[in-house]
Amino acid sequence: MAKSKASAASKVKNTTSWRNAFKRDWQLYLLLAFPILMVILFSYAAYPGLRMVFMDYKPAKGYSGSNWVGMETFVKIFKDKDFHRALKNSVVFNLLDLLIGFPMPVILALILNELRFKRFKKVSQTILYLPHFLSWAVIGSVAYTMFRPSTGLVNIALMKAGVIAEGIPFLTEKWHWAFSYLFIGVWQTMGWGTIIYLAAITGISGELYEAAMIDGANRWKRMWHITLPGIKGTVVTMLIMNLGRIMGSNLERLTAFENSQVKDFQYQLAVYIYEKGLQNGKFSMSTAVNLFQSLVGVMLVLIADRIAKKLGEEGLL
Amino acid sequence: MKKRHLQKLMAGVLAGVMAMSMLAGCGGDAGTETTAEAPAETEAPAETEAPAEGAKEETAEASETEGTDAEEAAAGGAGMESWEAFADNVTIKIPVYDRGVEGVPAIGENYWEQWIQENFGDQYNITVEFEPITRTDVLTSYSLLAAAEDLPTILMEYDYPKLAQWANDGYLTTYDLDQFAEIAPTYYNRMVELDQIQYTTMNDERYFVLAERPYYNTNYTYITFYRQDWLDQIGLDKYPTTWEEEKAMYQKLKDEGICDYPAGGHMASEAGVDQNYAFRTYPQDELTWATVGHYAIPALSSDAQKGFLQRENDLYNLGFKNPEYYITDVETDKANFVNGDSLWFAGYISAEIDFVKAFYEQNPDGKLGVKISENVVDSAAGTVPYAFRSNNPWGMMIGFSSQATEDQIKAAMMYMEWMTQEENLFTMQWGAEGEHYEMKDGLPVQIEYTGSDKTQGFNNNKDYWCVTIEARTAGTIEDVIAASSPKNIPQDFTEDIIENYKGQVALAESGYSVVDCNYSVVIESEGEYQATLLSLYTEYRDQLTMCKPEEFDALYDELSQKYLDAGYQEIIDERAEAYNAGNSTKLPQ
Repeated sequence: MAKSKASAASKVKNTTSWRNAFKRDWQLYLLLAFPILMVILFSYAAYPGLRMVFMDYKPAKGYSGSNWVGMETFVKIFKDKDFHRALKNSVVFNLLDLLIGFPMPVILALILNELRFKRFKKVSQTILYLPHFLSWAVIGSVAYTMFRPSTGLVNIALMKAGVIAEGIPFLTEKWHWAFSYLFIGVWQTMGWGTIIYLAAITGISGELYEAAMIDGANRWKRMWHITLPGIKGTVVTMLIMNLGRIMGSNLERLTAFENSQVKDFQYQLAVYIYEKGLQNGKFSMSTAVNLFQSLVGVMLVLIADRIAKKLGEEGLL
Repeated sequence: MKKRHLQKLMAGVLAGVMAMSMLAGCGGDAGTETTAEAPAETEAPAETEAPAEGAKEETAEASETEGTDAEEAAAGGAGMESWEAFADNVTIKIPVYDRGVEGVPAIGENYWEQWIQENFGDQYNITVEFEPITRTDVLTSYSLLAAAEDLPTILMEYDYPKLAQWANDGYLTTYDLDQFAEIAPTYYNRMVELDQIQYTTMNDERYFVLAERPYYNTNYTYITFYRQDWLDQIGLDKYPTTWEEEKAMYQKLKDEGICDYPAGGHMASEAGVDQNYAFRTYPQDELTWATVGHYAIPALSSDAQKGFLQRENDLYNLGFKNPEYYITDVETDKANFVNGDSLWFAGYISAEIDFVKAFYEQNPDGKLGVKISENVVDSAAGTVPYAFRSNNPWGMMIGFSSQATEDQIKAAMMYMEWMTQEENLFTMQWGAEGEHYEMKDGLPVQIEYTGSDKTQGFNNNKDYWCVTIEARTAGTIEDVIAASSPKNIPQDFTEDIIENYKGQVALAESGYSVVDCNYSVVIESEGEYQATLLSLYTEYRDQLTMCKPEEFDALYDELSQKYLDAGYQEIIDERAEAYNAGNSTKLPQ
């Protein structure tokens, strides 16, 4: 009897049709429909436009009036010395960004998690989140005001304190610039980046900490043996996603820190695309570089995902 | 149950809000659109904004005499009297520079646009819309509009190479000169009178219509103001003429503790900031002029540019130039002048010049002077200090969009003719009597406008009426300067600006006013490499300015070679080819 009831129940469950599901949850499907539509519209509907990478696309002539040139645009780009310079800078700076910037939110989240005075914790979090809401234009402008070699506030303070004899070219000499650029980047993103890790930490059972405490584990050991393993999956997922951005390039950030003395490092793919492509009306070239960035990004994500799975992690896909 | 119902209702409302927000993003009224880009730049000295009569050029290929059909059409009594309203409404879109200047009405929604619509558009069943074009990034603005199939009906720019590129890239369509003469006889006849027809073709196809530029061989609207009160303190009654004297002046200003960095300076951000006309050898070699003479792409590798950059290097190493100039933008440089941190600053004149007005507010007892051009040669320095770039013998160059219909092109021609009519042009330039100007001795005199709804656009609505002429004209050049010299300040500079104009005329007569070479064929490599070279130049010119004096020569050679390899050599070769084939203008004899 019990068996027949169970089989009847499973029968009912199995026969739930799309129609019934939609009837029951149509509001949820409706909510889902718009994001899906937007993804289709803005991410996939533009795909036919990619054919311009195989054309000598002239904006005024459109697709029908422009000539097909095959792989000529790619050949031209890969032969271009400026592209090599931009590519090298992009990869190096993104790797450094990853190397320095990726662990920071994890470390910060662990530290924040250990704070016991709630009000202090909240104030700290708010202060750390704030830079995320500043645009790069504002950050760049403030940075120049602070770090100008002879009239910047920081250099004036250091000189008046007798620490240095002449101003440090924080943003006007390429090696100093590289440091400042990366440091300011970390400062801007690390606070916001902690959110996802703090959320993951809240998912760790409190019982584990209690048991560890009874066993005599100190804070450091609890952090090392419970918190970190508890958020490992999230860390790996975030790392895979960040690897996809190795080929990325942020024009707003680069423009905010631009000056003629640091072009050697500041000339990255976004600058290349803007200066050589868009400013000259060469949409084919801009699109080709962008397509190249995307393809490499996807490949990196896939490879990282495969490696993560081989190492026993869940991966992203 | 009730809660569940509420949740469903909330979900439905949320979905509705999302749908609305998404649809809101899809729509948009192009007519009220304003650009979000913020140009941080006042116009560079190179801007072809103002000059005067003079040197006639001959275009080898374009010296054809135009057919008499157009003249007959123009003389045939056509024009505005023959216009009829379109049966179906025609919408035209007119480009207007968006300069990011505060205090001027927004493009697409101001009184003067409505005035045009009421007095022109409504009479002929034409809707006139205005498209903001970012002044500092004209090519990108137009290319994005072209890609969106939303080009304005007419495309306008001052520089011949830009129009040539548009013609070559299919932005422009050819037009029928006879039709233009019939619809716009006033405009056409003026082009004939000014001998401009020869410049209307490219590769033997007729693309361009040319606006007038009064007094084109001078640059009288661009004025350098300096601190005369400082010069009085060191015993100089006027700005020095030679480099030796100038150097001594800077040094004295430093020594006396009046100013740390009297030469000021700001970053080079666009073409035309480093003009080398003072450093050329006169009379010029025609091939050199034709190949490396154009200001639009800096002539790094040329002797003249070397002279210019050597001077910059001197200014920097002698401690006269702001050591942070390369991270100082124009607005900060301007503020430095106002705050007494530099000796001079230059800008275009108008009744209200922001930095001059701000200067007197900041320094009520301050005294400014105008640097007056003089026809002198500085033999010791090997320069002609006041030699300058003359403008082309036209103002705006106008082409018709390849995306426009025949009716739209016809309506655009009507618009240009209507704007050329004296009464319409006068109102657009001067505004309303009693509010913007008063008549004195038969001439308009600008007064301060105190209202708000009829505020004129930048520089007395110039970006609207530049479709026909480049400067306000009323009476003699003295009257014009008197009308446009700065007002409501403690000093009157009218006489000095007239003197400067006369000095430039004298320079022009001596051959020190240079019109850049133009080509009747497209120089493809310019389009290919211009942006790259401009970017490289800003990098190299600062390296050359800030290097040690003893390293300058070697560094100049090294960077010149890199610059040539990056595309400049190709441009030189292509220009030389066009010149040798007779497809270019010539130096005035």
